[in-house]
Amino acid sequence: MKIRMERATIVFNVLGYVMISLLAIICLLPFLLIVMGSISSETEIIRDGFKLIPSELSFDSYMAVFSNPYQIYNAYTVTILVTVVGTILGLFFTSMAGYVLSRKEFHYRNPVAFIIYFTTLFSGGLIPWYIMIVKYLDWKDSYLALLIPSMLSAWNIILMKNFMKSIPDSISESAKIDGAGDFTIYMRLILPLSVPGLATIGLFLALSYWNEWFLANVFITSDSKYPLQFLLYRILSSAAVLKTNIAGNLSADFTPPTETLKMAVAIVATGPIVFLYPFVQRFFIKGLTIGAVKG
Amino acid sequence: MNRKLTKWFSILIALTMLTVVISACAKNNNATDPSKSPESSSTEKAPASEKATDTEPSKLDTSKKVDLVWYLLGDSHEDSQKVLDEFNKMLEKDLNTTLKLNFTTWTEWETKYNLLLTAGEKIDMIFASSWAKYYSYAKQGAFVDLTDLLPTYAPQTWSTVPQQDWDEVKVADKIYAVPSTFPEFTPNGFVYREDWRKELNLPEIKDLDTIEAYMDGVKKGKPGVMPIGGSAWNEVSTLFSAVSGFEAIGGDSLVVAKSYDTPRDIVAYPFTTEFEQYVKRMKTWASKGYWSSNTLSNKTEAGDLIKAGTGAIYWRNPPGAGGFIVDAKKTNPEIELAYFPFTRFHNYAMPNLSINNGMAIPKSSNNVERSLMVLDKLRNNPEYFKLLTYGIEGTHYSLESDGKTFQTPPKGTSVSKDWKKYDIASWGWRYEPNMLQEIGAWADLKKFNDEFKAENRPSIFSPILLDYEPVKAQQAAVNQVYKQYGQPLMMGLVPDVDKALETYRKKLESAGIEKLVDYIKGQAEIFYAERKI
Repeated sequence: MKIRMERATIVFNVLGYVMISLLAIICLLPFLLIVMGSISSETEIIRDGFKLIPSELSFDSYMAVFSNPYQIYNAYTVTILVTVVGTILGLFFTSMAGYVLSRKEFHYRNPVAFIIYFTTLFSGGLIPWYIMIVKYLDWKDSYLALLIPSMLSAWNIILMKNFMKSIPDSISESAKIDGAGDFTIYMRLILPLSVPGLATIGLFLALSYWNEWFLANVFITSDSKYPLQFLLYRILSSAAVLKTNIAGNLSADFTPPTETLKMAVAIVATGPIVFLYPFVQRFFIKGLTIGAVKG
Repeated sequence: MNRKLTKWFSILIALTMLTVVISACAKNNNATDPSKSPESSSTEKAPASEKATDTEPSKLDTSKKVDLVWYLLGDSHEDSQKVLDEFNKMLEKDLNTTLKLNFTTWTEWETKYNLLLTAGEKIDMIFASSWAKYYSYAKQGAFVDLTDLLPTYAPQTWSTVPQQDWDEVKVADKIYAVPSTFPEFTPNGFVYREDWRKELNLPEIKDLDTIEAYMDGVKKGKPGVMPIGGSAWNEVSTLFSAVSGFEAIGGDSLVVAKSYDTPRDIVAYPFTTEFEQYVKRMKTWASKGYWSSNTLSNKTEAGDLIKAGTGAIYWRNPPGAGGFIVDAKKTNPEIELAYFPFTRFHNYAMPNLSINNGMAIPKSSNNVERSLMVLDKLRNNPEYFKLLTYGIEGTHYSLESDGKTFQTPPKGTSVSKDWKKYDIASWGWRYEPNMLQEIGAWADLKKFNDEFKAENRPSIFSPILLDYEPVKAQQAAVNQVYKQYGQPLMMGLVPDVDKALETYRKKLESAGIEKLVDYIKGQAEIFYAERKI
């Protein structure tokens, strides 16, 4: 009986491992193809297409991306700073808003929540938004334009509110009996209990800051303030202009776009996040279920 | 429960009303602002121009220090700021002005350009061009009317730009931009492997038959080579208009004038017999394998395949061909390339519109006069021109003794492998007499340009102003049909040409091509009447 059970388990395990490994390989293949594409030689890709094992290695594309290393490091600094500061501030404000909205003592919590929710349905559109930031707030070419607009999102606040609602009232009540004020309760009790929610939203925020390029595209005019994604996108798009019929009107010297360059850019842009991912992945998975139960 | 519900409703209503009020306010603000700024600038303008009429143009009032912001369409160079600092030193001394250059870069530039012009940001000059919708922006009032200001504030430019060029930038008889002065020809043409032509003893390319003979020879003589590799669409579609002599009106469209000499004979080309003959011929070309059957979805440039050794023909205009050939000489020294311009089918060439590149002043500018003065200096003073266009002499280039040619990287300096030539988006202020020739450029370009100049005829089709607003729906439908039925037909990728042609024509008719033709005819008539063609 015992042996039989084990045999079944072994068969099951073997099957399971084989299946999972196959799936993992299938998921990894495209990524591997990108890595290999980035270190292939350009002519080989044009002649034979992308290959998993290139016949000759070439690091030209990386040299093209890092041709101006100062610029790339600068862009990395900008992106990392904006991501760290933005994520921390964003988490702070999002959790404060979520906490206030989850408190039953706050009489107008539903109307306020509705106003926040309302902005996801109606917005002014691109041009009024642009006019506000450039003319009234005067954030053109300022780091604030990279930082502020994506700091708070209605969706994150609602997510946070629902998460905090699941924390039993009795906990804050007990603290109150011991003489704690609202802010102490928030800082010392609610925040530590909401770590999974904070981690999820933090990850959302960090990802969106890391991948942000549109704000820089529209608002940033000096090269030294370009974040990484925008800088890389710019390298590609100036190369891509060659392919449109505008090139015929310009007769300028552009270096033509290269397939390997695209791959190298993808690696440079996603690399750090890929390394970060294993460490925060468990929060990410947990976080996916947060919004599932609406309070 | 009910009471709660009514409470909710009243809050909701109050909220919507509030948002309506707020948004209305916001709208008002937006609406008044742009209208305010031209007013204020015009009041500033009026006394200035009065003053200017009785003072000498060289003694224009520059007592007030002004910082200008200019926007260029394109990329900056890492040394732009360094060059600009030098530039500003001179500018501050001469005109008491400093200049700041902003670049749109090529990322989503259309969105950005639109935002810059609609949001009323303070910009004193911006790159303008027919391919960046100069005519529609000018028509919508995005630019300052320069007609009366030019003689006073940019007298040299006013006298050096040919009248023909000024006429081309006019919208409703007003000048809204300063066009670049650099006669340029960009007809279509092929770059091809001349060494293979010689090796396989193929005839010199001079018409459609010799092109066919060339492709046939290459296909048979060079196994593994696709005469037009990758995406062959540009090659085949431009060849059609060259062979037929049809001239597309207002850029890329199905509606053409049947020849240069009969500009009023406007038709949709899929309904012509020329088109029928052409697609039949293309069908034979496709079945002989001159291009691959996935060519419409293929994104590889035919030129890349020439460099990889598996392609023979690549569509380029002469300046583009020059860039490609010079570059190929570096990467594939064993290849010999030659160029065949399609102008040789009909022996005339039309120069690009002067406003292919130019500079305009957005409505939001407060320093219209000063901005024009700086442009005048920049275009006409060789020192200013060379500095901003080619960089600092000795650092970015070195001038040859004749003063007309230059070399990059500068003579006698060694540069690292990743050295980039100083090159910013300077197309807008090009002025031919001040321009330099680069050593190592494609030598044939001048030969071709001389050929084009000799057979030069004025460009009468591209300036026809089409905004397609009244026929938007038809245009979208026709475009859809064109992509779905027209392109495969033209590439010979259909099993039965006659049937496919019939379907294509039928679909075009039901998409409303007739209305489109009528609209374009109307616009063309207006334009011809204006220009007395």
